[in-house]
Amino acid sequence: MNIHVDMSICLLHGQCVIAAPEVFSFAEDGNLVWLAECDETLRASVEAAADACPEQAIVIDG
Amino acid sequence: MTDTTLAEAAYLNVADPDFSIRSQQVKDARALNWYAHTPYGLAVLRYDEVQKMLRHPKLRQGSHLWPQHNGVTEGKFATWWCNMLLCVEGDTHARLRRMANPAFSPKLIADLQPKFQALANRLIDAFIDRGECDFIAEFTEPYATGVICDLLGLPFEKWRDLADIAGDMGLALGVTFKEDLPKIEAAVARLFAYAEEVVAEREANPSEDFIGMLVNANRDNPDQLSRQEMLDMIVLAIFGGIDTTRNQIGLAMDMFVQHPDQWALLGERPELAKAAVEEVMRTRPTTTWVTRGATEDFEFQGLKIAEGTTLHLWGQAAATDPAAMENAETFDITATRKPHFGFGGGTHHCLGHFIARGDMTAALALMAARMKNPRYAGEVIWLPDSGNTGAIRMPLAFDKA
Repeated sequence: MNIHVDMSICLLHGQCVIAAPEVFSFAEDGNLVWLAECDETLRASVEAAADACPEQAIVIDG
Repeated sequence: MTDTTLAEAAYLNVADPDFSIRSQQVKDARALNWYAHTPYGLAVLRYDEVQKMLRHPKLRQGSHLWPQHNGVTEGKFATWWCNMLLCVEGDTHARLRRMANPAFSPKLIADLQPKFQALANRLIDAFIDRGECDFIAEFTEPYATGVICDLLGLPFEKWRDLADIAGDMGLALGVTFKEDLPKIEAAVARLFAYAEEVVAEREANPSEDFIGMLVNANRDNPDQLSRQEMLDMIVLAIFGGIDTTRNQIGLAMDMFVQHPDQWALLGERPELAKAAVEEVMRTRPTTTWVTRGATEDFEFQGLKIAEGTTLHLWGQAAATDPAAMENAETFDITATRKPHFGFGGGTHHCLGHFIARGDMTAALALMAARMKNPRYAGEVIWLPDSGNTGAIRMPLAFDKA
């Protein structure tokens, strides 16, 4: 599946990093980094992350 | 020791119960510098700085020091406080947060809306013909508590007890913590006793609701959720949503009493209710500050901050700063605004915010339709205007629509 984060509404809370640490993390400079494409086995985690985002900035595609 | 000898910043005695976080003194302090000194450490007063500090890598959630700051070093409240979700960090925090998140998912709101509306209407029905009410005792308290009861599968009949317990526990979040300690301790004891009862009930009759899920998780995998963590989480889930929502809806009404044109507009255009909730929380949040603690010495915008320093991020001051956004001091539910800080931010962003936003939107829309021209019919009794603030009595008059 493909993962999109709308950076115009992302406020870098980091709830996604807690919910799906295999997919989302903070870089040294404080920016959010994530796997744009990942395996089906991570679906539950990624959906949990999308759900938990306070700004609802994460979109799962596929 | 935090080095502030080179900077000019105000001192704000926010520990004084008569201090108002909305006062001219605070606005002047904000104009003078992005921070001020307080009896607790530093207050951060401006928008960009608050936003950065909500998620700064050298800061942790700082509320674990609040009991100490108030001379409270032991007891049931302090123990629960320092061990529950808000005050823990790292792997423990992540594990507990992952477990709690699904119970507060935005996906639940669609199904909960009709329950929110039914509850709000039932409460309004009880006083609408009188043309007046104690808005806190007759609406915000039963509504906030009823929402939590629905969410957690608790009987509505329990609401008065739970609201009383939450009200007493809530005193711990304000500047009268130490003097109210006996009341707070008694309330915490009662809530833990109730949590044990509910756990026993779910152990006998397993369920898939939030408390049932916690009971099952503890039973099946106590390494993932210990018995104490389970009880602490239940106490948090019950307490966390009652006082805050009770206060916030009362504060919303205060804003609309001051701005009758906005209430009339909301009555004509209920689709504005969602934006109204945001605008209320920007200008008049119950959570006037959130807390951070420095985990090491660091420098921020020229200020040296020592490890262990407590920083209060004054969301209300920051989000109403004319330097942050146009017409920031005007209450306008139609304006486009930057995000507010009423739910905090970062890894400890309010867990229940989707639920809170949903239930407050429903309440405001219904009340604006049914209760016209709200105005005060007596003296409003307020908590101190700092920490978690709100009204505890609000005699309100209105015209039935």
